[in-house]
Amino acid sequence: MLPTALTDEALRAPVNVTWEITEACNLSCRHCLSADLRAQQRGELTPEECRRIVDDLAAADVFQVNFGGGEPFLRKDFLDLLAYAQAKGITSCVSTNGTVLDDDLVGRLAAMSGLFLQVSLDGASPGTNDAIRGAGTFARILDGVDCLRRHALRDFSLNMVVTKVNVHEVGEFADLAARLGAKARLSRFRPSGAGCASWDDYRLTKAQLLELSEFLGEHTDILTGDSFFSLTPESRRRLGLTMCGAARMTMAIAPDGGVYPCAFLTDPAFLAGDAAAESPVAIFRESEVFARLRANDNAACSGCSRFSLCHGGCPAVAYFVTRSLEAGDPECLMAALGAGV
Amino acid sequence: MRYVVRGTVRVRPEAFGLLFYDTRTTSLTFVRSGETLTVAPGAPGEERELLIAGWDGRPEATARLLQTLREKGLIRATDGTD
Repeated sequence: MLPTALTDEALRAPVNVTWEITEACNLSCRHCLSADLRAQQRGELTPEECRRIVDDLAAADVFQVNFGGGEPFLRKDFLDLLAYAQAKGITSCVSTNGTVLDDDLVGRLAAMSGLFLQVSLDGASPGTNDAIRGAGTFARILDGVDCLRRHALRDFSLNMVVTKVNVHEVGEFADLAARLGAKARLSRFRPSGAGCASWDDYRLTKAQLLELSEFLGEHTDILTGDSFFSLTPESRRRLGLTMCGAARMTMAIAPDGGVYPCAFLTDPAFLAGDAAAESPVAIFRESEVFARLRANDNAACSGCSRFSLCHGGCPAVAYFVTRSLEAGDPECLMAALGAGV
Repeated sequence: MRYVVRGTVRVRPEAFGLLFYDTRTTSLTFVRSGETLTVAPGAPGEERELLIAGWDGRPEATARLLQTLREKGLIRATDGTD
């Protein structure tokens, strides 16, 4: 749980950094948070620039980098960069769509220590997953997972972005993950990137949000780095998710080096600097964009009895739905139900 | 008694005290230790000595804190009891 003092005082460096290392991807998922960045084709950091960024993060004792994309394994020098980061003591988590995992690649990954993999799978059945991630992807993803198992790579999770069209399969998804020797992770769908266009099709109904919260409360082994608003106070305390970490504990670097508070806030309004030209850690400390986000007091929620449990929820959802950071999270069930949850 | 931060744990100073990161689980532990605890320099993966400056002022609180960190697997005593 974040110490209360962090609401007012920034850390001297991020704890972890989400780094969208490439625009390249072989899929076109309907909820892709990076779709806008990819469409802009702003180019990618050079290998030298990437190593300088790793040096900067390591010097500031940044603990962890979460690599994503695009599909990170499509970047030709990615394994070299991964090895470089690990040699500097940075723990690496790689989010992959799983379709490019083969024996050669996974064999090299298995030789690395301290590597966590997250494989995206948006349903427990081909029909559900493929409607979101593309035809035939369910089978290809499971082939990739089989490859991980053959190479005894154990630190991996299956991640499902929970939407209106797959929420009915969360139980089966958890069972499938268990059968495959993976941890199950559920992530929140946000109206970022391609999620803007699919927001109305995919956003959970209030009833679904409530059902999901009950499910998560009963299945505490399922990972979630996200805040589902309808969690009971007890569940929320157990998860330690009382506050958005954007600009406080985390930041995001786009493929071209653009620095943002969070991978879900890669809107031009939140561009804080250029990691190719400046120290990303210095941007974290000194950027006005980051200072503005830290100072956001979620005025609409500050009078709520549960404010200390969520601090207004996800600013990205609030911003993309209402164009205001102070509106509070529109998926808050307290507001929807008009009573204590 | 002397203590070391385990090699699987990373730690850095912050304004409130120390911030621990367990590389095995990626979990964080915020320790409001002020200037009571500091950590000797060291390379990633190496054990680092935990330097304790607060025994005189608040010995019981410091002992409780150290015990908690031991129970979390973040530090170990060098006398062979862990």
